[in-house]
Amino acid sequence: MQVKIGIFLCDCGGSLRNIDFPKIRGNLEKLEGVAFVDISHNLCLEEGGKALASRILSEDINRVVIAACSPELCEHNFMRLLESLRLNPNFLSIANIREQCSWAHKEDVTGKALELLRMAINKARLLQPLERKEVPVNQEVLVVGGGFSGMESTLELSQLGLRATLVEKGSALGGKLSELEGFYGLGASPKEMLGSMTRAIEEGKNIEVLTSAEVTRVEGEVGNFTVRIRRGGEEFPRSFGAIIFATGYRAGILPRDFELRPSVNIISQRNLIEILQAPEKLERKPETIGFILDVSDESSRLATLLVLNNALAVKEKWGSEAYVFCRNLKVDSDGAEKLYREARATGIAFLKFEKKPQISEEDGRVKVEAKDVLLGEEISLSCDILVVEEKGLPPEGTEALSSILNIGLDSQGFYQNENVYLYPVDSGRKGIFLVGACRGDLDISRASMDVASAVMGVCELLASGKAIVEAEKVRVDPDKCRACLTCIRVCPHGAIRLVRVNTEKEVAQIYDLACEGCGICAAICPAKAIDFEGYTDEQILAEVEAIGE
Amino acid sequence: MIVAERKPLEEIKEMIAGYKRILIVGCGTCVTICWAGGEKEVGILSSQLRLAFGKDGNELLTSEVTIERQCEREMVEELRDKVQEVEAILSLGCGAGVQTIAEVFEETPVYPALNTKFVGMPEREGVWVETCRACGDCLLGETGGICPVVRCAKGLLNGPCGGTKRGKCEVDPEKDCAWTLIYRRLEKQGRLDLMRKYYPPRNFQAVTRPGKVEALQA
Amino acid sequence: MGGNNKIVAFCCENSACAAADRAGKIRLYYPDNVRVIRVPCAGRVDVLHILKAFEKGADGVLVMGCQEEACRHLTGNTRARERVKYAEILLKESGIDGERVRMVNLAPEMAHKFAQEVSEMTERLKGLGPTPIKNGGPQR
Repeated sequence: MQVKIGIFLCDCGGSLRNIDFPKIRGNLEKLEGVAFVDISHNLCLEEGGKALASRILSEDINRVVIAACSPELCEHNFMRLLESLRLNPNFLSIANIREQCSWAHKEDVTGKALELLRMAINKARLLQPLERKEVPVNQEVLVVGGGFSGMESTLELSQLGLRATLVEKGSALGGKLSELEGFYGLGASPKEMLGSMTRAIEEGKNIEVLTSAEVTRVEGEVGNFTVRIRRGGEEFPRSFGAIIFATGYRAGILPRDFELRPSVNIISQRNLIEILQAPEKLERKPETIGFILDVSDESSRLATLLVLNNALAVKEKWGSEAYVFCRNLKVDSDGAEKLYREARATGIAFLKFEKKPQISEEDGRVKVEAKDVLLGEEISLSCDILVVEEKGLPPEGTEALSSILNIGLDSQGFYQNENVYLYPVDSGRKGIFLVGACRGDLDISRASMDVASAVMGVCELLASGKAIVEAEKVRVDPDKCRACLTCIRVCPHGAIRLVRVNTEKEVAQIYDLACEGCGICAAICPAKAIDFEGYTDEQILAEVEAIGE
Repeated sequence: MIVAERKPLEEIKEMIAGYKRILIVGCGTCVTICWAGGEKEVGILSSQLRLAFGKDGNELLTSEVTIERQCEREMVEELRDKVQEVEAILSLGCGAGVQTIAEVFEETPVYPALNTKFVGMPEREGVWVETCRACGDCLLGETGGICPVVRCAKGLLNGPCGGTKRGKCEVDPEKDCAWTLIYRRLEKQGRLDLMRKYYPPRNFQAVTRPGKVEALQA
Repeated sequence: MGGNNKIVAFCCENSACAAADRAGKIRLYYPDNVRVIRVPCAGRVDVLHILKAFEKGADGVLVMGCQEEACRHLTGNTRARERVKYAEILLKESGIDGERVRMVNLAPEMAHKFAQEVSEMTERLKGLGPTPIKNGGPQR
């Protein structure tokens, strides 16, 4: 097909005064393959769009070059317009002569605008059509982890009409909900919450719960994952369109925090909860209880909440004196500030240290010595019980799962999100979401937000039962591929796999739906076997070529 | 696979100084996979040379081609038309590739752009390690699939030596002691008795150069 | 091309392109010798693109991607950084100053940094003079 280019120059309502449009037109008209150069004032408005459409049809052009504002603003609309004219939307090349040219420079920039146009024209000549294809997706969702986040995800999915399978490692649902004593300041108690959620799951439609079950293998890509689940000695495969991981956290004492071994008097938060739930184990009521936080580094939200809850609990149940040693109390969780004020009001004392306190045992009591930086005084407290901080740690098996999933871990061993600012619940692999405490130190309200975003993400991918992809936008040439595995190793989205072509040669193949279009593979392929339509080597270099012509 | 490494540009420049038209030939097999001599590397070298020559005001016409395997005469033969247009050939193949090209095109000088290093495997993305010295007398079956000739710094056939320390090598404490690895592997296989086996010194005189393998299948 | 301190800026469409747009929007007048080539991620930029840009007569090359640890594609910007380092080595081997190529990390709203980097590179190129490559060299 011979390339026939139509060029539209938009002067943005006549506002781009430092560009001489007629001069540019005169210059470009002479170029090979250019059918016409039009000057418009308002391509973004309806009448401008109509004029553009009628010119494209009457001149029967097959490449459209537009010089206008930033493609971020206009590209999408023009592509849809081309599509409505039955012209392949990829036959569009835009020169940004407004934000990156006219507006960016004071002087006359006709020369630069001309160069930007030549770059766009050079690229347009090489553009190839891209086919948009519908791909069916499996609408079933797997939720891994039966704690708060996992249960919440399952319920929300079922309410939206998606079938969810909830896999829990333990023998019952609940996770930390079944362990905690209370959420002071948050309304419902964990027990009530667990009760109502369990009921809702039992009654909910489209829900399957598999307890004492584990995920052992995940293969495939978004829309079509094959997951192997092990339950009671047998292993079976199941297919899902998306996966939500809500594997939570494990509470533990960091050994580097306390040189002392936990003893009768030095106990963990969990031990305290056990005693609170079964006070008959206690010989006598402890009169003075110390809590200690942030020993080695900044405290975590979860640990702070737990300390506040437990300090209030001992105050309420036993009327003990409670002292909290902390460095910087992190009260940015929902309700934590209120909880802190409540604690202060009931007479719990907070002591702020900077240097690690000294802890020693003496006559069956625990002595804590610290310098309170607010009072400026050395404080020595002798308490019946010292309750030490528990950190939120990654649950066991996180590392194994991360390698099954091909998802990285962060420095603390939690799942590493894709760009945490932009896509907090995305894993980097499309269709796999990470919610709640498995991706870091999140309290329950943050976990709820995670669940909502992940469920939204799942709906976006699966709700219609099909997905639209630009087929082979990034493509491996099977003849040139050497199966060196480089692209498979570097793809940040796990979108490339090795396949057999005609049962002979093994070559890399990119899965369109999982590909996010970064082009890292195309840049690194040592055999130059990968092309990224719209950004092929030839197209990029054709743009470079036009500079300074 | 055969692992190779690009020579410094300076050395390549010196080799081809004086030529105005050269053919740069890549190889699509081992050296493509180890990022040393595939189509991409050909492009990089070609670009570098043009920049270097252009900078000095010298003209250099480069043509680029990558063939399936440089170590096969029939495949090298495909280059004939291109070779007629140039004064010299720069090969990004292993030593075998360079020699095959030289043999097919006897009148044209061929220069190696790579240093062929060893037979190895990828350790991780972009890193290759030597795993086979091509010694011609393989004993991997008795060492749990770990080659002491290559992976022991001293190439000991009867190890470990006294310099093994917590599984590391005294020559380079960063590196694993091959014989400790062998021990652990054999332990997993329940074949620790093999550790007691004595391997007599090898007779290197028996290895004739150049090596030759003649297949019996017809 | 050639002369006039021409800079080719490969810009990630998730960050640097937006920063460049914003620089225009708020009228941060910067030198007009820069030509932005939009790429889907800084990780798309190949060492060859950088070398060929110099072959075609560019005086300087900027590779502009997302902030460290904030790449839309996780590793794109770190790979780009490594490639720019590699390109520096390759250019030096060819006798071209490594300072002519530079990796820049910026967020979409960092218009000032975009303008500043272009200005700095322009100043640097003024100091270095035009590249010794005259007319893009002979083509293959």
